[in-house]
Amino acid sequence: MHIIIIGGGAIGYPLAKALGAAHDVFVVDSDPLVGERFADADVEFVAGSGANPDVLRRAGVERCELLIAAAQLDEVNIVACALGSRLGASKTICFATREDLLVGAADGLYGHFGIDELIWPEAELAADIERIIMAPGATDAEVFAGGRIELLEYQLDAASPLVGPAVASLDLPAGVVIIAVQHEHSTSIPRGETRLVAGDRVVLMGNRDGMTQLRALIAPGVGDAASQLVTIIGGGDVGYRLAQHLDRADGIRLCVIERDPARGEMLAATLSRALILQGDGTDLELLESEDIGRSDVLVSVIDNDERNLLASLLGRQLGVGKVITRVSKPSNHRLFERVGIDVALSARGAAVMSVVHQIDGGRASLLAILQEGQARVVELTVPAGLRPTAVKDLRLPRDSIIGTVLRGGEVIVPRGDHLIQQGDTLLVCCKDPAVRGVRDLFVRG
Amino acid sequence: MRFTNIAQVAGRICRLFGAAFAAPTLVAAFYGEWSDIPGFVIGGILAGAIGQTLLRVSRGADDELRRIESLSVVSGVWMLFAMLCSIPYLWVGFGVIDALFEAMSGITATGATILTDFESPGRGLFFWRAMTQWIGGMGVIALVVAVLPRLAGEVRQLFFAEAPGPTEEKLAPQIRKTAVSLWRLYAGLTAAEVIALGLAGMPWFDAVCHAMTTLAAGGFSPHAQSIMGYDSALIEWIICLFMFLAGANFALQYRALLGRPGVLFRDDEFRAYAGIVALGAGSLALLLWAAEGDAAPLRRATFQVLSILTTTGYATTDFDLWNDRTKLVLLAVMFIGGCAGSAAGGPKVLRHMLVGRFTLLELRRTLHPRGVLPVKLGGKVVPDEVIRSVLVFFLFYVLTFAVCTAVVIGFGADLETAVTATTGTLGNIGPGFGDVGPMSSYAGLHPISKLTLIAAMWIGRLEVVTVLALLRFEVWTSAHWRGMES
Repeated sequence: MHIIIIGGGAIGYPLAKALGAAHDVFVVDSDPLVGERFADADVEFVAGSGANPDVLRRAGVERCELLIAAAQLDEVNIVACALGSRLGASKTICFATREDLLVGAADGLYGHFGIDELIWPEAELAADIERIIMAPGATDAEVFAGGRIELLEYQLDAASPLVGPAVASLDLPAGVVIIAVQHEHSTSIPRGETRLVAGDRVVLMGNRDGMTQLRALIAPGVGDAASQLVTIIGGGDVGYRLAQHLDRADGIRLCVIERDPARGEMLAATLSRALILQGDGTDLELLESEDIGRSDVLVSVIDNDERNLLASLLGRQLGVGKVITRVSKPSNHRLFERVGIDVALSARGAAVMSVVHQIDGGRASLLAILQEGQARVVELTVPAGLRPTAVKDLRLPRDSIIGTVLRGGEVIVPRGDHLIQQGDTLLVCCKDPAVRGVRDLFVRG
Repeated sequence: MRFTNIAQVAGRICRLFGAAFAAPTLVAAFYGEWSDIPGFVIGGILAGAIGQTLLRVSRGADDELRRIESLSVVSGVWMLFAMLCSIPYLWVGFGVIDALFEAMSGITATGATILTDFESPGRGLFFWRAMTQWIGGMGVIALVVAVLPRLAGEVRQLFFAEAPGPTEEKLAPQIRKTAVSLWRLYAGLTAAEVIALGLAGMPWFDAVCHAMTTLAAGGFSPHAQSIMGYDSALIEWIICLFMFLAGANFALQYRALLGRPGVLFRDDEFRAYAGIVALGAGSLALLLWAAEGDAAPLRRATFQVLSILTTTGYATTDFDLWNDRTKLVLLAVMFIGGCAGSAAGGPKVLRHMLVGRFTLLELRRTLHPRGVLPVKLGGKVVPDEVIRSVLVFFLFYVLTFAVCTAVVIGFGADLETAVTATTGTLGNIGPGFGDVGPMSSYAGLHPISKLTLIAAMWIGRLEVVTVLALLRFEVWTSAHWRGMES
C-alpha cells in the first residue's frame, strides 16, 4: 500500500517504523533533521511542508491509498488532508491535539475538509484505560466485533485455578480459550500439554457470557467491574475524558485529584457523581487522609512521567489494587512495569496502535497487538469456494491458534473437529513470525 | 443615591399606573354604583399628577440607574402604589391604616384582609381588590416594562429586583420580550380560569375576581366564606389546578407550552414542588381522615395545602378549627412557598433546595476537606454569589419574622395569632390561625401591629433584600438631588 505520513515526529516516527516493513511509506517533514532519523528506516523521506501541494505530489499523492496527517499543528494536518483528498489520496486520517476537533468529527462535519477519520491520541489512551478498568484484575483488555468478543490478559498468582494442570484439562467456562501465554518475558501459543505457572501472563478470548464467568473464576475477590473505587490523579485531557466515561458507568465510585483549582472547578461542574479533590497527587498526606489506598484502581495520568511514577508508587505503597500509569517517553515504559506498575500506557502508543489496527492487510487485518508486540490478533475471512474443513485439517502454521469464529451474528469458540466454512470470519492469534503463514492460509485455497 | 434619577423612572411608572383606575370605574358604572366612582377617579388623577410632578422635578436626569437606585425605585414604587390603591377604600369609609393594609395586601397579592362586612361594599370595589392582586402577582415593574416601549434606567435591574426567586431567568435576550411573554401567558391562564369557573356554575363576576386572585396567588375573595361559600367540588378542583400553575415557574410553563412539555419534569424545582404538593396533601388527608373521618378529606387537604403552599390563602374549610397535628402540616408549608419565577410568595422551593444542598455539601466537606464541592441545580453549578444571597435572604427573613412577631405580641396578640399573622403577611399568604384564621380577619389587631404587618407584606413581596438594602445609613447620607438648578 502507498502510504504518506505528514510529520515525522512523536507519532509519525513510530508509525512509519511500524508500517514501513510491509508498505510503501513516504514521510513528509519540513525539518531536514527529521530526515536523518529516517535514514536507517525502510521509508522514503520527502523534505517540505505537508500543506504544500507540490511536496505532496513529490510524495506521490495521486497514487496514495492512505494519507496520515500527524504534524504538530492541527491546521497543517487539516490542510494536508484537504489537499491530499483533492489530489487523489483515497483515504485520509488526521491527528488532532484538541478535543474540540473530535466533537465535529463525531458529528460527521469534516467531510468537506477531506478528513475521513480524526484521531485525538488522548481519547485513544482514555479508551484503553477504560477497557482495562472495566475488566477488574486484568492487565490488558480488548473488545472485537462490536463487543461480542472479548479479550483479557491476566497475570496468574499461585492460587489461580489456572495454575497446575495441563491446559487441555483445565475447566474453563464454555466459549473461552487461552490464546497466548507469556512465561518469563517470552510469549508462546499454548498447546494442550502446556502447564501454566504462577507469574505467567495469559491471554484469553471468548464470547461475552464465557468471559463474564471467567472473570468470576480468575478474580473472585475483585468482584464486578461496576462496584469499584477508581482514583484518577490528574484531571487533564486524558483524566477528564476517562472521568466523563466512568462517571456515567453505574456503581463505579470515582475520585479525581487535580492540582489546578480552576480546572478542579471545571471538573466538579461537569462531572455529576465524581468527587473532585484539589491537591497534588504526589502529596502523601493528601493521599493518606483521603484513604486512596482503598481504591481498587489508581490511574495516574499527569503530563509528567516522573510525577506519574511517584504518584503511582505512593498509591502502590498505600495498597491500591491495580495501578495504571501514563508514560510519555518510550524509554521509560519498561522501567515503569519493572518497578511494580501494573499497566503503563502512552497516548501516542495508543494512537499509533489504533492506526495500525485499521490498516487493511489484504485478507488479514490486524486487530490487536499483545504482550509488547510478541503476538498479535488478526482477522481473516474465509474466501468463497472453500469446502467445509475441520480446524485440525486446516494446516495452521505453528505458533498460531484460532480464537473465535464469527458466523453471521454467532460467536463460536472452535474445537479441533469444528468445520470452518466459506464466509466465516476467523480471529487468529499468532506470534509475529507466523503472521505471513496465517495470511497465506487461504490464498492458495 | 440620586433622587433625580429615581424620581424620573418612578414618575414614568406612576403616570402609567393611573390608567389602571379606569377598569374599576367602568365596572362600578356598569353595576350602577355611582357613589363609589369618585374614589377611583380621584385615585387615577392623583397617580397621574404625582407621576407628572416627579417627571417635572427630575428634568435633566440621565438615564442610568445604579444598583441601589434601582432597588429604591422598586421599593418606592411598590409603597407608593399601595398608598394610591388605598384611595378607593378611604372613599368608602375605611380608616387610614385599614385602607393601607387592604391596599398593601392587595398589591402584594397577600390576601390578608381587614374586611368583616362583605355586604355593603360595591362590586366595583371587589373588582378593584382582585385587580390589584392580579397586577401585583406578576409584578408592577414587569407590567410597565411590557407596556412601555422604552423605560428609562437599567430595565434588567428593575425587573429582577421585583421578580421572585434567587436566579435570573429570561425567555428572550430582551427583558421587554420576556415581560410580554410572561404577561401573555398570565393573562391567557386567567382567561382560561374565568371560563372554567363560569362553566362550573360560579357567577361570572365572581369567576373573574377569583381567576385574577388565583393566578396572582393572592387569595382575595368577594365571598365572605371564600371558596367554601360555593360548596362545589368541581369549582374546588378547578381552583386547585390553577393554584398549582400559579405556584409554578411561569417561564418554565411558557417553554412547556411552546411544545416541549418534557421541560417541566426535567426541572429539579418543579419536581420538588410537585413532590411537596403530593406529600403535603397526602399526609394532611390522612390526618383529616383520622381526626374527622368525614367525606372528601383528599379534596379538602389538596385544596388547603395548595392554597397555603402557593401562598394564595383561599379556604374551603375553617382550618383554624383543626387539631394542632393537622395544623402543623399547613404551618410547615407556610415556610416553603411556591417556585421561583411564579406568582407565589414565601421563601420559595428553590431557595430551600439550594440551602439544603449547600448544607449537605458542607457536611461532606468535613469528610473531604480538599474536595471541590459546588452546589448544582439541573446539572449546572450555582455560583457562590447566588448561594450567598440565598443564605442572606434566609437570615433576614428570620430576623424580620422575629421582629414583626415580637411587635404583634407586644401589642396584645396571642402567640399563635402573632406567629401565623407574621408568617401569613411576610410570606404573602393571607390567613393564619387563631384571631387571623381563614374565617376571621386582621381587623381586630392593634393599629401598630397592622402597620408592622403592612411593612412585612412589602418586605416579603420584594424578597427582603430589595427593601432592607435601603436601611443602610450611607444610602441616605449620600442622597442628593441633581439637575434641580438647571
